[in-house]
Amino acid sequence: MENSCLNMEASTLKIDAPGRIGGSKAKGMKRIQVNKDAVKTVMYPVLFGVLILILWQTQLLHKILGADTFTLPLPGRIINIILGNVPAILKNVQATVIVAIGGLVLGSALGYLLGIVAMAFPKWGYGGISIASAFTAVPIVAIAPILNNLTKDFSDDPHVRSMLAKTLVVMITCTVSMGINAYRGFTELKPFSLDLMKSYAAGKMTVFLKLRVPNSLPYVFTALRISVPASIISALVSEYFAEYIIGVGRQIRESIVLAQYATAWAYILVACVIGILMYAILLVVEGVALKGRR
Amino acid sequence: MTAVRKIFSSRQMVTVVWIIGLVVAWEIAASVVQHTKRTPEYVLPHIYQIIDSVFSRDLVNGSQTATQVVLTNAAVTLVRAGIGFVIGSVIGFALALLMHMFLPVEKIAFPYLMIIQMIPILGMAPIILAITRDIDKSRIVIAAILTFYPVATNTLAGFKAVEKEKLDLMYSIAAKKKDVYKKLLIPSSVPYFFTGLKISAPMAITASILVDTLQGGGGLGCMLSQSLKHAMSIYVFWQIVFFSAIVGILSFYLMSLIENWCHPIRK
Repeated sequence: MENSCLNMEASTLKIDAPGRIGGSKAKGMKRIQVNKDAVKTVMYPVLFGVLILILWQTQLLHKILGADTFTLPLPGRIINIILGNVPAILKNVQATVIVAIGGLVLGSALGYLLGIVAMAFPKWGYGGISIASAFTAVPIVAIAPILNNLTKDFSDDPHVRSMLAKTLVVMITCTVSMGINAYRGFTELKPFSLDLMKSYAAGKMTVFLKLRVPNSLPYVFTALRISVPASIISALVSEYFAEYIIGVGRQIRESIVLAQYATAWAYILVACVIGILMYAILLVVEGVALKGRR
Repeated sequence: MTAVRKIFSSRQMVTVVWIIGLVVAWEIAASVVQHTKRTPEYVLPHIYQIIDSVFSRDLVNGSQTATQVVLTNAAVTLVRAGIGFVIGSVIGFALALLMHMFLPVEKIAFPYLMIIQMIPILGMAPIILAITRDIDKSRIVIAAILTFYPVATNTLAGFKAVEKEKLDLMYSIAAKKKDVYKKLLIPSSVPYFFTGLKISAPMAITASILVDTLQGGGGLGCMLSQSLKHAMSIYVFWQIVFFSAIVGILSFYLMSLIENWCHPIRK
């Protein structure tokens, strides 16, 4: 199971293409080539996106998918709805983002602590983490109702207790990937660095603070790259089951129950923007934190 | 004596002790819940109560026992998840191949593959149901979408991880493009392809169960929400929780098994 948490890195990082068939261009050409490539890299996807938007607005997309403008409203209408309902949308976004970030922070902190424990007691700790990693396969759908029932008596205010239940769901989904990656960060040290620390007669605490913690930083970001999108998904899904009706995910569902598909699409767009923004923030933070390391 | 010590220090022992520990923790919590809550079976029942319900012969909905309900609905859900999973992995592999063969395709598709990772697809489940208007189709579509992008990104990473020396060797023996793919690129991308499958198999199942909860008409998720709404015994809910957990974990190991079977040389 740990593979699934780690190899996402491979999927997201390898953007540059080393071994394309056909060989590389001569060096003198490189500068012009890079500019041309850069233009192409931006232009192609943008053109594709514009094409889809045009197909959508001219309703050709509806013909292809066999949908009508009622279930798949035109982009202009969706934008209008978002602009017309800013306060309501912001209230729901706030609820979702608090749950997602709260769960993400709690889960990652817990996972990091578990990583430390596993490092201190490698045999039992690592065994524990690999068992915990099996729990990532448990569907969120099954966890959410359990936690709803567990937190029933926590508070008399349904808003507070459903917030707590949702945050716990997000926390559970974020803990394991951080635990595994933190453990790897603590133990996969550069060759001889541990011997070097020993030759300085450094204590266990010093080794931990000066060697293991800095070494774990890139691994922490590997874990976050998995858990940031996961945290939003589980926040949205746990809202489906929550007692108190609030949040972007719940609004998508409620709007569809009321057959207001355009509103549902507006909330879907908002959810996508939240996902992309949070990932972008993560990438910026990662760039600053790991400056000069990669 | 040494034999006993060996058993105690083996990896399996660690796993067994952890599982026993978890069961004990669950039972303690369940005992506490039993004495403090009014409806303990809704919060945390004893494990033996759940196991008992698996073998019980009481009918929960007029014609079926709890286990029968779970199994018949599981078949509905898992078959749809499986169809979507297969379609998604074929599309994902084909897309990765196209992206590697034609540069413009990669330029167009790669940013969207990155973006789709950040978009909560599960949140779109209701709208896909509204467009397809059919619960079976939407289960397949969502499972396929969730499968296709981890497979595509991982397979593409696999194509790109091939050492340059190997490509140069193929070039030096004047291998045709077709042969380069057949003999070198596709075989070496297989482990990456399976990494994608391992990520997406539990996701496809989760998605299928989630889509069930949106509408009536059978399926694990539908039974799960009915059971929570007191329409039938709550133990159906607990059985589904355990069942889906076990199936999710098994789906991961099933992929590992198929991988070893496809690639016997790999350690």
